[in-house]
Amino acid sequence: MSLRIAPPSGNPSSTTNTTARQTQLSKGAPSAPGLPDTLRNKITLPATATASSTNIPALNDIPSSTHPLEARLLAWRATQDAMKMESLRRAYGIAEPVRRGMELKIVRDGTFRPAVLGGMKGGNVHEDILVLGGRDSEVSWEDIFPGDEFREPPTFHDEMEKRLKMDF
Amino acid sequence: MPGFDFSNYNRNAALHAKGVPLPKATSTGTTIVGCIYDNGVVIAADTRATSGPIVADKNCEKLHYIAPKIWCAGAGTAADTEFTTALISSNVELHSLSTGRDPRVITCMTMLKQHLFRYQGHIGAYLVVAGVDPTGVGLYTVHAHGSTDKLPYVTMGSGSLAAMSVFESMWQPDMDKEGAVKLCAEAIKAGIFNDLGSGSNVDVCVIENDKPTQLLRNYEKPNERGQKERNYRFPRGTTAWLNQKIISKDDLKKFVTVETLAGDDNIAAGEKMDVDA
Repeated sequence: MSLRIAPPSGNPSSTTNTTARQTQLSKGAPSAPGLPDTLRNKITLPATATASSTNIPALNDIPSSTHPLEARLLAWRATQDAMKMESLRRAYGIAEPVRRGMELKIVRDGTFRPAVLGGMKGGNVHEDILVLGGRDSEVSWEDIFPGDEFREPPTFHDEMEKRLKMDF
Repeated sequence: MPGFDFSNYNRNAALHAKGVPLPKATSTGTTIVGCIYDNGVVIAADTRATSGPIVADKNCEKLHYIAPKIWCAGAGTAADTEFTTALISSNVELHSLSTGRDPRVITCMTMLKQHLFRYQGHIGAYLVVAGVDPTGVGLYTVHAHGSTDKLPYVTMGSGSLAAMSVFESMWQPDMDKEGAVKLCAEAIKAGIFNDLGSGSNVDVCVIENDKPTQLLRNYEKPNERGQKERNYRFPRGTTAWLNQKIISKDDLKKFVTVETLAGDDNIAAGEKMDVDA
């Protein structure tokens, strides 16, 4: 583990808009599952398995472009969190980052607000407080420009199916 | 994708590979300065906003509010300075509510530099942060890539060299408020007159210890538009007329027939209007 402040400068040299980004296929019409529904496809947002705040990009997010800044921004928070965890490990031993990681996971998994009711757009206040460095008194571009404003949120059933791993 | 949207980047790169020219980089022009004096700090800015070779706004405001006692002068991309300072202003306010203390200039400067460093200079905000806090007076410059300076007098923007020459020759330690304001205005005027990207008026912001902050908008107007010697406005009665006829209200009966009807419904002339019951 390293103590990187900024993510490494490796950005993808190519992207695809066909396979890699399309991780979930259209579920089709509710009345006829399995049949592709052109009218519904891409109008609703895909349901996510975890209820983590939408404005916190994860490390495994796929950048939509080869722009170096995008890869950097996507990996930014994860890199900073990893750095803080690593310095905690060096100072107090492995127990400290493990405990904090567990607390964070409990809080992330224990908070659920359906996307149809606004979802985690406002962020998860418990997570924001627990996260290293604290994000409860912070506002960023992602909070002001949430993106995907014109797409419907995933339906409640879709979301629950995804969370309970029932989306075969 | 929340935040910045990169979805057109690959398309643009592909178009460029096919021979579509890239848009030209815009050069921006501004003069902003800041100067510490014995009991506070003064920042000043010109008021010209350019869009390429065109002056887009002759009297724009480049001094941005961050906290009651922390202000920021912005050079570079106007929208970026505007939004970044607004965002940091919100963050500073949230932070001071969370800690229950007055915000510090160095906190604000650190927030700005960390924010700008994360975006690697793609946010083109070049700022002069000035303010007074419980630890004293603070004056910093923040560049778009996140580097910062702490100096008793600072200049930024394309007119920074002209303005700095004024500071270098006229600045002295332990100035009073009037002297500092005057010196800053002088430095901005050097930028206005010697730098093509800067112009119009001088805005000044005085942040003083234990006194309310003063924003002196258009403190000096060295480029007031003069009265034109001639104009194209014609005085009343310039156009000659051939004849004139004045018809007063009483004379109307001469031109139209006026009949008075009785107020009774049955005698009403013409068709009766259909009215629903």
